[in-house]
Amino acid sequence: MASAASIAASIASKTKTKKKHFVAQKVKLFRASDPLLSVVMWGVNHSINELSHVQIPIMLMPDDFKAYSKIKVDNHLFNKENMPSHFKFKEYCPLVFRNLRERFGIDDQDFLNSLTRSAPLNSEAQGRSGARFHTSYDKRYVIKTISSEDVAEMHNILKKYHQFIVECHGNTLLPQFLGMYRLTVDGDETYMIVTRNVFSHRLSVYKKYDLKGSTVAREASDKEKQPPQPEDVPPRPKSGNVQQRLQTLRIATRFYCAMKHAKELPTYKDNDFINDGQKIHIDGENKKMFLEKLRKDVEFLAQLKLMDYSLLVGIHDVERAEQEEVESEDNEAEEEGESDGGGIGTPPDSPSNTLDSNKPLSPGEFDPTIDVYAIKSNETAPRKEVYFMAVIDILQHYDAKKKAAHAAKTVKHGAGAEISTVNPEQYSKRFYDFITTILS
Amino acid sequence: MSSNCTSAAPVSASKTKTKKKHFIGQKVKLFRASEPILSVLMWGVNHTVNELSNVPVPVMLMPDDFKAYSKIKVDNHLFNKENLPSRFKFKEYCPMVFRNLRERFCIDDQDYQNSLTRSAPLNSDSQGRFGNRFLSSYDHRFVIKTVSSEDIAEMHNILKKYHQFIVECHGNTLLPQFLGMYRLTVDGVETYMVVTRNVFSHRLTVHRKYDLKGSTVSREASDKEKAKELPTFKDNDFLNEGHKLQIGDDNKKYFLEKLKRDVEVSVETFCLTDSVVLCLLSEALSCFLCVRVCQFLATLKIMDYSLLVGIHDVERAEQEEMDVDAVGEEEEYENDGMGGGVLTGSFGTPPDSPGNPLNCGGFFGPGEFDPSVDVYAIKSHDSAVKKEVYFMAIIDILTHYDAKKKAAHAAKTVKHGAGAEISTVNPEQYSKRFYEFMSNILS
Repeated sequence: MASAASIAASIASKTKTKKKHFVAQKVKLFRASDPLLSVVMWGVNHSINELSHVQIPIMLMPDDFKAYSKIKVDNHLFNKENMPSHFKFKEYCPLVFRNLRERFGIDDQDFLNSLTRSAPLNSEAQGRSGARFHTSYDKRYVIKTISSEDVAEMHNILKKYHQFIVECHGNTLLPQFLGMYRLTVDGDETYMIVTRNVFSHRLSVYKKYDLKGSTVAREASDKEKQPPQPEDVPPRPKSGNVQQRLQTLRIATRFYCAMKHAKELPTYKDNDFINDGQKIHIDGENKKMFLEKLRKDVEFLAQLKLMDYSLLVGIHDVERAEQEEVESEDNEAEEEGESDGGGIGTPPDSPSNTLDSNKPLSPGEFDPTIDVYAIKSNETAPRKEVYFMAVIDILQHYDAKKKAAHAAKTVKHGAGAEISTVNPEQYSKRFYDFITTILS
Repeated sequence: MSSNCTSAAPVSASKTKTKKKHFIGQKVKLFRASEPILSVLMWGVNHTVNELSNVPVPVMLMPDDFKAYSKIKVDNHLFNKENLPSRFKFKEYCPMVFRNLRERFCIDDQDYQNSLTRSAPLNSDSQGRFGNRFLSSYDHRFVIKTVSSEDIAEMHNILKKYHQFIVECHGNTLLPQFLGMYRLTVDGVETYMVVTRNVFSHRLTVHRKYDLKGSTVSREASDKEKAKELPTFKDNDFLNEGHKLQIGDDNKKYFLEKLKRDVEVSVETFCLTDSVVLCLLSEALSCFLCVRVCQFLATLKIMDYSLLVGIHDVERAEQEEMDVDAVGEEEEYENDGMGGGVLTGSFGTPPDSPGNPLNCGGFFGPGEFDPSVDVYAIKSHDSAVKKEVYFMAIIDILTHYDAKKKAAHAAKTVKHGAGAEISTVNPEQYSKRFYEFMSNILS
């Protein structure tokens, strides 16, 4: 943590060049808009510090997969400004996740800094709807609120997951699980899991797809595509000419991005992908490596009888991003300087990680050790793009799903009604085949 | 003092050693100790100082700060079992107040934390009243005393006035320097602890120790006590030896004049001054403060305190060090904590504990000390019979007259029936007697 003494980052942000962000905060106040976020920050800070007093074992023991650390804080007339007076923080399998972080090339100190120097930001959903998302302020990590069933499932697969990560040396498209916690604030329990962000911490994604390889109901809903303000809605693309729809969608997205600086990013699905005529233009070598990883990952998932996962695809358009940056600089000259830094640049009032900008990166460039899922488009691609692709939402177990569906169907159709869900094997095959076809 | 954020993460911070005040010797603090309660103490102090580094230092303390506490309960399962118990609780009383006090006593929070956490605190065979347990930090800078819940209550009662007093005298006092107050719960058992600055030196050995009250009844070290390595002698022992604390005629004369004035002034204002303690210091200014100290103790109706006196014999220490060098490094060094190890001599630190960087500051000659660290040290005057260094301060200030009287009354009533006369002195009488005794032992 080499850090020069510095003044507040708000001053640094006025110069909108690719600058080095110095460590501005000496005191971590865990200030956030929501007590839950303060507790996450405090908790991660505490957990990493605790781990720094525990010797790193040579190898993990079976007990480590059942372990947890729990802490309960009760303050009275102390530290009330940013923290709630009463809260609990539980970390599941601390040694396992520390080991996983190491295997994914993430230093505990960097992890700590990303999650604690400034409050995590609300983020739109990346996967299954309803789950609440945050990203770390520097956009390297995603914090997803999950259910207690998800936590149970994680425990079930953790040993095998860890073993898989050991064998593939951390080189996988599966979610990189980095920490799992339970927070209790005001008597309410919230479960959270931290994963590496699939998308870039720097390069903006203007289009996002959630692909399963299924054909039923795989279209972004109107609600997904439309923004909250009705007056801003462009005409909804009518069925018909694919090109027309594609163009309308492109205009719509660009319009939204221009208006809201890329905050709203609808999640499109399989049918949209096909109808848009979207292609992923990557060269042969990249395609081969990608599919090889995917094959192994999907095999692993099928073995564990997991299904309903998706491939999350994000597309960064290099030219568009350059254009947006020019526009937002113009806007900043007029406005109060509110930029959420959708593209390059970081939120003005949050100091960024010092590892961020060691050297300036040109448009469309990325550091593959940070943006691990990034793949450049090949030379023959119509537009210069960067693709981010990884598997998400892997915690749905076939048995649990079947049981639930069975119960639902029994209620609806009576006992003995046939369940029409595919099994994990079929799911994985269909998934893999679909993804293979979308890569040109 | 707020710390920089590298303090919370010794593991990788040690890889990039820029912008750091201290050279961190230990990369990983394991809180390893011979007993779970010591591990919990280390963990607790580490945690609370880190927590405070995330709380901005306020411009001034508020009334609520004197009623505040922080509580933390840890429940681990199959995790971190090597050095810590799986379940324990740690409570810190009035964290902001003690942080402020540490600052006023010129103790940096990082140093405080390091002293108490880098290596386990050591048991001291000194015993306070009623068998209270004593520990010293591994570097002998701080003393950790196990106290009762009544003591905690009394501390809370006096804390505001104590703090005010410290503000007014700029930390320049012979009263105990209270630096932290905690409650530890291990295996369901609660232990209360108060951390104070060590009266004795962290370096210079104390060869002789006295606990003086100015009383004459039962003030003699028992045989059992005398058998110890560093027995605590008392008033009668001191008198029987014909011992004197030789700080110089001029100082003493000056002191007595001041004292007389202070006593008269105090009688007029109905606050008995007890300038004895500060008379032992050579600074004239201290005498002025002395009035206030005594006002402080007497006004608060505190009594039964002692003057703790430690004597470092310079020649003897030099001799001991030569013996140690002759013997070599393979020997096991044993420290009793309070007085500094007899065998470590003047300059050594226990071999297996990383030295505090402040130790390696300057090179000190025999009988020399850093007054900012050994704040209670006074050299003997030049024409003294023996070259000595004295360490003197007041200890045990948590007995309140009313509480004591009530207890004694109850005891006497049980023994002699209601209406029996209580023969305990009151705080003013106590302080007067205390003072008179102390003034006689100086020369």
